[in-house]
Amino acid sequence: MKNMMLMILYTLRESFARKVFIFFFGLSCLSILITAIIFSLVDQAQILQSFLSKGNIGAGNVVMIIELGIVSPLASIGLLLSIFSASSFIPVLLEKGNIDLFLSKPISRTQLIMGKYLGGLLVVLLNVVFLVLGIWIIISLKFSYWNPSFLWTIAVITFTFAVLYSLILFFGIITKGSLLGMMSAYFIFIILSPLLLFFKDQLNVLIKSDFIKKAFEILYYIIPKTQELMAKINYEIARGQGISDFQPVISSFLFLILMLFFSILLFQKKDF
Amino acid sequence: MYSVNTNGLTKIYSTGIRKRKVQALVDLNLSVDQGIIFGLLGPNGAGKTTLIKILLGITFPTAGDAKILNQEITNYRIKGKIGYLPENHRYPSYLTGGEVLRFFGKLSGMGGIQLEKKIDELLNLVKLNNWKKAKVKTYSKGMMQRLGLAQSLINDPELIFLDEPTDGVDPLGRKEIRDILVDLKNKSKTIFLNSHLLSEVELISDRVGILNKGRLIREGTVKELTEKKEEYSLTIENITDENLLRQLNLNRIKEDSYSVRVSDISELNKLIDSLREKKILITEIIKQKATLEEMFISLIMESEKGEKK
Repeated sequence: MKNMMLMILYTLRESFARKVFIFFFGLSCLSILITAIIFSLVDQAQILQSFLSKGNIGAGNVVMIIELGIVSPLASIGLLLSIFSASSFIPVLLEKGNIDLFLSKPISRTQLIMGKYLGGLLVVLLNVVFLVLGIWIIISLKFSYWNPSFLWTIAVITFTFAVLYSLILFFGIITKGSLLGMMSAYFIFIILSPLLLFFKDQLNVLIKSDFIKKAFEILYYIIPKTQELMAKINYEIARGQGISDFQPVISSFLFLILMLFFSILLFQKKDF
Repeated sequence: MYSVNTNGLTKIYSTGIRKRKVQALVDLNLSVDQGIIFGLLGPNGAGKTTLIKILLGITFPTAGDAKILNQEITNYRIKGKIGYLPENHRYPSYLTGGEVLRFFGKLSGMGGIQLEKKIDELLNLVKLNNWKKAKVKTYSKGMMQRLGLAQSLINDPELIFLDEPTDGVDPLGRKEIRDILVDLKNKSKTIFLNSHLLSEVELISDRVGILNKGRLIREGTVKELTEKKEEYSLTIENITDENLLRQLNLNRIKEDSYSVRVSDISELNKLIDSLREKKILITEIIKQKATLEEMFISLIMESEKGEKK
């Protein structure tokens, strides 16, 4: 366990050295700064009024919508950048001359690869915490309304990244490169997950072939639901009303567990 | 107790799209005693690095088994007592020499003041004490090798695997590394040395193994391997009678120096008797030795010929 912690901290150090952490931190700082400047210039009462006039929503909801309206796109961009940056952690570990050294030390292969995975996750978690917390504090101060439930979005965003990162880990071990894992993660996040959700909600009724319907349905349940996590689940959890349907969370979690299981299994048997 | 013990160790790799089988190690049986320097020689692709990688659990054997320090190689905890300097090792360029040693020291279960003392001691030993706080990316190839050696010793290991440790090191540096290795041996450490620098292996190894195409074709002490069993050089007074030379089967090397091939020691004694009978004064008889390089080349060629047959 001690060695796994060491690997996690080593990955964090690597992210500093490769400027990955600094880059994200810089982006988060910039986003927080812009938010602070914008909200210092606009009148709080005016914003509330414009939202309240549109319908029967409370002030609390207005604040939450503003918070989500800022964090959601930033988190999505952040996730895309995180996938790009963190995908190199695994191939670098597996480089000839590097992996030999690690495997010659008294650390199990499981601890080694999990340490690297959790290290990558920690890099993203720290930045997500900084970004969400920063924006939450600015908006809460501005509107004098504190909605702690919003902070749960940190867990959802990090979880979404964890699911995609498990795929990067899996392909990283197979190919010893980052390209395939990165492309798969982007494909799921940008295309497949939204497409399958659209199929489930809208397109399903228009398809007549039972076979295609079934195939899409199976695919929907297999593929992690990053679209639902980043939109619906984030919204529900930020409102503090709890998750109405756990299926996207559970199926994505199962995907993560399976990816980690196969990654560890492959890594255990791989010759270097 | 053996430091390394392999039993029928075999490794077959599949390469390419057609999954062509390549035998990296074939039924290897090897035992290395504790507290010695064991030199493993072999041409490129002989299986030297594969053997080390299997012993360290970096690669898995196709068949056979092995023990290091009397423990199964599958037990990763035993690696706490092992040091390893891989060929073409890479350290994160953003770390300093001191940080590299600290990280790998911690990974080997060390920590606190003991680790800090060890880092200074080792950097001093490999003459990198002035480079402790310099980033690894500023190190030369030779310095990287020295750092690698220090890294392999950070946990005060009982068994040290060194894969081409003097690669890229200047002659003076090589001598210093050799001295370090001899000193480690004197402290009862076992050193498993992979090198293609035969002269170097010859200088410090107690035992040598020769690997070719995955097979251990010879193993023994340097003396055993380099001795030319049936050849002697004789220093005697100058013989001017060419017929006598032919009769005694002597080949002139220089004025008073001759070489002779005999079938066994009794034949040598007969020759001595003959010389003495003729009142020829013998001043020196030396059993001929080949260099390790000569022996290595002849063994590899023999092995290749044997395979062709």
